[in-house]
Amino acid sequence: MPLILCLFSVFLFFGFSSFLLGESKENIHLKGKALYNGAGSCVACHMPDGQGQPGSVPPLANSDWIKGGTDRSIAIALRGLAGPIRVNGKHYYSAMPPQLLFDNQKLAYILSYVNQAWGNQERVVTEREVAEARERLPQAVYTPQSLLKKFPFDKKLNRKNGTFTPTYDDLITEIIQPIIYRTFMPGASPAAFAVALPGNHYFCWDAGECRLRYIWTKGGFIRNNQVHWASNGKPVAQFNGTPYYRARTTKLLGQTFDQLSKTNNKQPIYDTSQADNFPITIKGIEDKPSYLGYRLINQYPQFRYSLGKYLITELIRTNKDLSGVQRTFSLSPPAPIKFTLTPTEESSISCDQGKMNPDGTLLIKAEDSARFSIFINPKKESN
Amino acid sequence: MRHIIPLLISFLGTTVHASTSPSYSITDIPAPPTKFKNIQVDGLTFLPNGKLVVCLPSGEIFFRDLQSETWELFAQGLHNPLGVLALSNSELIVTQRPELTRVRDLDGDGKADDFEVLTDQFGMSGNYHEFNFTPVLDQKGNYFFALGTGSSGDGVRTITRGVFNERGRPGRMHSSAPYRGCIMKFTSDGKTIPYSYGHRTPNGLGFDLKGNLFVTDNQGDWVGSSKLFHVQKGRFYGHAASLAWKEGFVGTPVDAPTEKLAKMRSRACVVFPHGTMANSPTEVLAISEKANFGPFAGQLLVGEMNQPRIVRVMLEEVDGELQGACVPFIDGSPLGRGCNRMAWAPDGSLFVGQTKHTWAGGQGIQQVSWNGKTPFEIQNMELTSKGFKITFTQPVDQALAKKKENWPFNRYFFEYRRAYGSPRSDETPVEVEKITVSPDATEVDIELTELLAWHIHEVKIENLISKSGEELSNNYIVYTLNRLLANTPPDPLQVKLAQFNTSEKKK
Repeated sequence: MPLILCLFSVFLFFGFSSFLLGESKENIHLKGKALYNGAGSCVACHMPDGQGQPGSVPPLANSDWIKGGTDRSIAIALRGLAGPIRVNGKHYYSAMPPQLLFDNQKLAYILSYVNQAWGNQERVVTEREVAEARERLPQAVYTPQSLLKKFPFDKKLNRKNGTFTPTYDDLITEIIQPIIYRTFMPGASPAAFAVALPGNHYFCWDAGECRLRYIWTKGGFIRNNQVHWASNGKPVAQFNGTPYYRARTTKLLGQTFDQLSKTNNKQPIYDTSQADNFPITIKGIEDKPSYLGYRLINQYPQFRYSLGKYLITELIRTNKDLSGVQRTFSLSPPAPIKFTLTPTEESSISCDQGKMNPDGTLLIKAEDSARFSIFINPKKESN
Repeated sequence: MRHIIPLLISFLGTTVHASTSPSYSITDIPAPPTKFKNIQVDGLTFLPNGKLVVCLPSGEIFFRDLQSETWELFAQGLHNPLGVLALSNSELIVTQRPELTRVRDLDGDGKADDFEVLTDQFGMSGNYHEFNFTPVLDQKGNYFFALGTGSSGDGVRTITRGVFNERGRPGRMHSSAPYRGCIMKFTSDGKTIPYSYGHRTPNGLGFDLKGNLFVTDNQGDWVGSSKLFHVQKGRFYGHAASLAWKEGFVGTPVDAPTEKLAKMRSRACVVFPHGTMANSPTEVLAISEKANFGPFAGQLLVGEMNQPRIVRVMLEEVDGELQGACVPFIDGSPLGRGCNRMAWAPDGSLFVGQTKHTWAGGQGIQQVSWNGKTPFEIQNMELTSKGFKITFTQPVDQALAKKKENWPFNRYFFEYRRAYGSPRSDETPVEVEKITVSPDATEVDIELTELLAWHIHEVKIENLISKSGEELSNNYIVYTLNRLLANTPPDPLQVKLAQFNTSEKKK
């Protein structure tokens, strides 16, 4: 305890001394802000507003790791931090490298800025503090566990431990083989698929309505799904990205995935007997589609369903260059099809058998209906 | 699997002796190499080639070669596969949440590559408790599977499958999506029909050796204590919610007068008293001719999740209906908790898969083997005109068997009511009138001073040893006496305590 008090007074002294030495708080803030926002600097990952990125980079703004933990922040900046971490109750998976490009003074400016930006109310950090820590701290990248061991959360703040045990899905960063799960997905009936494809394209396919619901690529595959499987089954899967393609249905109008994940409803928004906007229309067929199963074709799922007397298969793969998703359909017996897609700002859609109209409709001739492919790629800027 | 409530063990008698006979041994089977670190067993069976099949909550299905002691991954991507049947070495039938599914390896590489819907013609509200339990196949090629109701522990999802039915929504356990709480039949010609109604958490179908279909249910609303039902077409077994789907039933089931529902319901052939016999019974498995498991062929085994226990059930037909007794059989450590699925191995030993899904239970796989020595157990309990005939696997000590005080019978019933569970009602000791032991000392005929229909009769046999001095492994047996051999009075319904002259004992 005396040692901690002693260190604390040293910090106080140097903290005040920078004022005394003539550098105003505003000046420190401005210098720190410029360094933070420099090209390829902190901003690239933690973002200008300090909010980080869902699922990968933790926020700095109002972070429970920063509050009352400036020594900890210095240690992270100097030595780096790797391993899944829980910040403000959410999970993040990216690693932070040691900040080797900044000298002690610059790091002090940056940390001072972070400590006081976006509503943070921590103290100014001095060059001396950073220098001492650089001397003192062991030469190893921290894990959340080792960091909290050295710099524990203040018990008075009553925070949850910032570590957690990652599950299998948490540790997959690069999808090499397709992964097919059946689980509860937001924005789909309870008979849903969550599929991860090579190239890290992920989609939700709904067996309750025989249709692709949405595709996303950023933010990783669904998280914490094992809890759903192994527990009583209540949790609905979550993912961090925003879909670059989401199929239209008039039954859902503007609800967020969080809202669609709600499980404690008295009644549903709708049930599948009321489903509409099935994407494939064949003249004279009024039937609802009926799900029949799926087959693995080189590990990729080929869904099959019937529409009246017609059998449809839908094989969903990644493009050869991994840039997007390719949906290959077959209709048997052949017939002219009107296929309705949902154009979005975030994706480009094309077909190998005709051009999609601006309203999303695509007319497939009978002779082409035995095999046609639709390509959905995220647009670069949105990716 | 039932809704969690504080366990009120109403019975802590010191005289009950329940344990596994020394004739049975238990071996742990190494866990399958799942990457999900979860080895709860949701489904378990054997392939024709003798390999063990295990379904995990992660949706994986593993095969185990018992000779080489190796695991192989057969399939993945199923949604809580809570039951499995093997049609061939490369073809399984699985109940998973959304479907009855045929899982096949078509290209012969040892891995499943086709997942065909046999039927998904039933609903899902998306409530977590809507499990899809245990496919079974009858001699005529019809499948049966059991649909759990939704729980008041949560509501319904934002999108549900099948026509949403508001009439099935109220109540503790609900049935707002088609046929929740029904046993379903998928006929050999492809029709999917609700076969029986009134089930709450029917975690485990099974046939006896005569082809009768049985299912268990877990204590809760409308289920005073856990039960075993003889499943017959069109019948209603007591849990109200699924009546929303029964043709001709008008109105909201849970709001119907309890008397009306009580008149509709079919009685359980066995009630498992809560706290003393089973709290969450699971799969029903007949002791088949190929089982190498002692002198009990034709009887049924029923798993129990809450305690490390497998119960044995013996039934008889009385006045046209099945009824009978249950007794703890494989009981206590080293058997694990959570005994959920069972199957006979090629060598006739019993394989048990354990699960919990956050309820009381366990995880893992165990093998229970019989060493060929006849255990000292109750072999059978049958109704007589004045009491019961209890048969033992070995001759009993005649003097001890003839002592009336060694046979402290009790009788009681569980109420039929909307509320969760039921106390033991009208619990009363029943005096023994007369005891007769057969000349070979294996049968003990017990006449009671009174034999009351529609009451559970239980006894904790005391001090009894075999002629050769062996201790009785399990001395607690419960007979669900619905019907008498003659002159059975009408079902008193037992919906209200006030109807009976009773002084309910506070335990």
